[in-house]
Amino acid sequence: MRSVYSDPELAELQNRVLHHAREFGRQIPEIRFFILDRLEFASLLEKDVYPTSPINIWEGKRMVHKKHAIETGLESALYYEVVQTGNPSYAYLNDSNNAVSQASVMAHVVGHCEFSERNVLGDSSPDRTEFVMYLVKRVDRARRQMGERAYLEYWNAAESATVLIAPNSQYDLERSTETESMFRGETSSTTDEMDRPEAPKPLLPVFDTMTTLLRGTVGSTSFEGELRKKRRDETMSRRGYILKSPCQDVLDFLRHYAPTSRAEHAILDYKYITKAPQDFVARTQIMNEGWAMYWEKKIMHALFEERAVKGIIDYARVFSNVCSPRPYFQRNPYHLGYNLWCHIEQLYRDGKVSLEYHEEVDRDKKNRWREDSDVEPVEALGHLVDTVTDYEFLRRFLTPELVHELHLNRVDRQTAERLGIKDGDIVEQDKRYVWLNPEPIKDEMLGFYTHFYRPRIYVIDSDYQDGCLLLYHRDDGHALRKDWIRPTLRNLNMIWKAPVALLTKDQLFAVMGNQYKSEEVKPVSFEQIIERMQKGERPFRGS
Amino acid sequence: MSDVKISSDESEGIFNEFIQEQLDEIVDDIINRGDLDRFDDRGSDIIIEMDDIQPPTFIYGDNEGGRGSGGQGPGNEKGKLRFRVPFQAFMELLGQRLRLPNLVKEGDGRIKEFSYSFKTFGQVGVILDKRRTFKRALRSSIGTGVYNPAKGQLDVHVRRRDRRFKLPQREEKPRYKAVCFYMGDISYSTYGERLEMEKRLVNFIHQWLDFNYGAGNVEHRFFVHDMEAHEVSPSDFYKVSNAGGTRASVVFDLVSQIAFNEYETKSTNFYAFYFGDGEVFEDDAKKIIEILQTEMKASFNRVGIVEVKPSQFSYLNREIKREFEKDDIIRMGTLRQRTETIEVIKSLFGERRA
Repeated sequence: MRSVYSDPELAELQNRVLHHAREFGRQIPEIRFFILDRLEFASLLEKDVYPTSPINIWEGKRMVHKKHAIETGLESALYYEVVQTGNPSYAYLNDSNNAVSQASVMAHVVGHCEFSERNVLGDSSPDRTEFVMYLVKRVDRARRQMGERAYLEYWNAAESATVLIAPNSQYDLERSTETESMFRGETSSTTDEMDRPEAPKPLLPVFDTMTTLLRGTVGSTSFEGELRKKRRDETMSRRGYILKSPCQDVLDFLRHYAPTSRAEHAILDYKYITKAPQDFVARTQIMNEGWAMYWEKKIMHALFEERAVKGIIDYARVFSNVCSPRPYFQRNPYHLGYNLWCHIEQLYRDGKVSLEYHEEVDRDKKNRWREDSDVEPVEALGHLVDTVTDYEFLRRFLTPELVHELHLNRVDRQTAERLGIKDGDIVEQDKRYVWLNPEPIKDEMLGFYTHFYRPRIYVIDSDYQDGCLLLYHRDDGHALRKDWIRPTLRNLNMIWKAPVALLTKDQLFAVMGNQYKSEEVKPVSFEQIIERMQKGERPFRGS
Repeated sequence: MSDVKISSDESEGIFNEFIQEQLDEIVDDIINRGDLDRFDDRGSDIIIEMDDIQPPTFIYGDNEGGRGSGGQGPGNEKGKLRFRVPFQAFMELLGQRLRLPNLVKEGDGRIKEFSYSFKTFGQVGVILDKRRTFKRALRSSIGTGVYNPAKGQLDVHVRRRDRRFKLPQREEKPRYKAVCFYMGDISYSTYGERLEMEKRLVNFIHQWLDFNYGAGNVEHRFFVHDMEAHEVSPSDFYKVSNAGGTRASVVFDLVSQIAFNEYETKSTNFYAFYFGDGEVFEDDAKKIIEILQTEMKASFNRVGIVEVKPSQFSYLNREIKREFEKDDIIRMGTLRQRTETIEVIKSLFGERRA
C-alpha cells in the first residue's frame, strides 16, 4: 500500500478531481487516496475495507478462495471503487487500472464521501479508520490474554451475532432500553462517541397530554403503579438497565449488557463497529450509488474538457455497463440511483415538484408543464440527501411510468419461464424480453426495506426464567433454518454466559448449559409483546 | 499509514491449519477403513471434498427464503469445500502415518540427471551479476573518493576487477530406476469384491513406488497365469480369466527370467507382487520357494505374495511362511476384507520387526 503521492500522474489527477468537486460545490471531508496491488485489494475487501483486521478463520477462508479465483482467472481483480467513508475518508485505487479508470474511481468516491457526511442517518464519524485500527490492536491484545483457542471460539461465537445488527432500526438499543444514567437524566456514559454515531432523535413525546390521553387508564390504580415502580427500581438497581421495548440491535445489546471480560468486550466492540455501517449501506444504497455516479459523470466531463485525462470512449463504455438496467429483483443501484437523480433534477428544472403541478387536473397542461422555480435543482437534490433514505426516495419519486422507462420490469424470456410468469402479468414483449406490469413493482421494492430479506430477531426479555436471554423471531411467513438454530443459540449462549432461548412462531428453542430443548408454545404476536412490555409485564410467560 | 502492508496471511494460516486437521482426519479415515479410492488418477493431485464451513446464524430455511433473496443468504449455499493436495505431499503424509520407510534406492551409478546451478561467482564469465558488481564498484568508488555525496560527487566507476560473473556449477542427481512386476492368478474367481480389493492394492503399490522413485522412473509390468504365464496390458490384468487348473510357479519363473535377461540387475530395483487365492499344489509351492530362494531373493528389493480372499484350501502363504517368516525381502499378506488393505500394505512395505 502506498500513498497516491508516490505516483505524480495520479497525484495530479487527484488534485484535479478534488478541484472540480469543490468547484461543483460538493461538501467533502478530507479524502486520502492509496494505491494497492491486486492481492492487497482483495485482502482489504475481506477486512471490511480497513487496512488491518484481527486474525480469524473466516477471512482466511474467503481470501484463500479469492486468491484461487484470481489466479485461475475466475475472478477479476479489478474492483470499481473501494472507500471507507468518514472524516478523513480512505479511498483505495487498484494499481493495475489505467488512468481514466483511476480518475473515475476518484470522482465516484467524492460522491460517496459527501453522501456519508450529509445523509440523515449520520454514517460518517471522525477518524473511523484510525479507531478501527486501534480496535484491532485491542483485539490482538485480547487474543494474547485469552489464548488462541479461547479467542477463536469466542470470535466464532460472535460471528453468529454479526447479522443481528440494526443500529438504524426503530427498535435500536437506545430506544429499547432505559439505563440508570438516562433515568437520572444524564447522557449515556457506557458508550463513548465513537461507539455510537449520533442518531437522529425520534420525536416521541412521552409525558405530554396526548400520550397520557392515548394511553388511557393503563395501570391506573395507584397500588399497581407503585408495584410496577418498585419492580422497575429493583430491576434497574440489579441490572443497570430496563428493557422497555424489543431490541432489534442484538449485538449492540450483547456488547453493552452481556457479562464479558475486557478481552471479550474488545472482540464484540470490533465486530459491532465494523459491521454496523452495513445497515447504512443497505438503507441508502440506491441513493448513495446514484449520487456517486451522478457526480462522477459531471467531474469526468470536466476532466475530459480540460484534457486532464484521455479515453472518453472507454469511459463511456464502462459507464454504460455499470449503469445497465436490471430487473427490479436484481437491483442495480448504480442504474436506478443515477437515473432517479437525473429524473428528479429534471422534475425540479421543470418546476414539477410543486403543489400547483400536483393539483393541476388538465392532462395536456400537465404534460406540457415547464415552469421556472425558485428552487435551485442541485440544492434540492442535496436537501434530499440530507433528509431521506432509499425508502422515502423510492416512495416519493418512483412511478409506474418510470419503472417501465428504466426497464425495472424487464425480464429475459428464460428467467420469465423459470419464474413461471403468467401471460396476464406481461404488458409488452419482444424476442428476448418480456415487460411485467409495473404497477405492483414499487410496493415490492419498498417491501425490501421492512426486513431486508432477513429474519427480524429481537431481544424481548433478558431475565426470562432467571437470567435467560429470550429472543423473538417476528413472524413474516417464513420459517428459520432449523438445523442452524441450535448452533446459533449455543454461540449466543457463549456470549451471554447464561441460558438463551428463541421464540419463533409456536416453537421455543433453548440452550441451557449443555442441554438443548425445543417445545411447542402458544404463539405470541409482535404487537402483543410490545403491549405487554409497555405495561411492564413479561412479554412471554412460557408454555 | 503508507507503510502498512495489507495482507490476510495470518488468517489464511489459521484456515490452512484447519484444512490440515481435516486432511489428517481423512488420512486417518483411509488408514482405519482402508479407503484408497481417492487414487483414481495416477500421480495426479488428490481432491479432498468436505462440507463447507459457515458461521451459523438465524436465516430463513432452505426452501423458504425471502422473495428475491436469490441465494444471498449463507444457508442457501449448499457448497462443498474442495481443495487439492499435491500427490507428493499426500503420499508423504500417508507414508508418515503408516510408518512406511522409504524404499531402498539402489543403482545410482548408471542413470543420472544433470543440472546447472549458479552458486559461485568469478571475475570472468558470461552472465554479469549486476548486484555484486555494483556493490564492489560502490565500495571502490567510496574508497577512491569518486563517490562522495557530501560534495555532490555521485559517480560510481565500475572497473574491470569489480565485475563479478555468475558461474555455472554442474550438479549430478542420481536417478533411480525400478521395475515392478504384478502377477495375477486368472484361474480363481477374480470378480466383484475380490477384484475391487486387488485393484485397490495394486493401485496403492503403483502410487507408492511412483512416489518413491519418481513417476517416470518406474516400469510397471503385468503378468497373469493359469497353467501358463503371459504378460498382459494393465487393463487386461483385471479382465482375463480362465476356469481350470493353475500353476503359479510358471509366472514366478517368467518374471525371474525377464528380470535377469531384460534388465541390468546391478542398477535396477526389482519389485514383484503376486495376487491369488493361494490354492496351489504342493509341488507348485515348493517350486515357487525354490525360485524365490535361488533367484529372486538375491536381486529383488521386495517380493510380496498376497492371498486375496483365501479359502480353507489356500496353501501358498502357509508354505512360504515356513521358509521366509522373518525375511526382509519376501513378504506375505492376507486380504480377507477391504478393511485389511492397510494391514497388508504395512506387511508388504513396513519395517520388519527384529
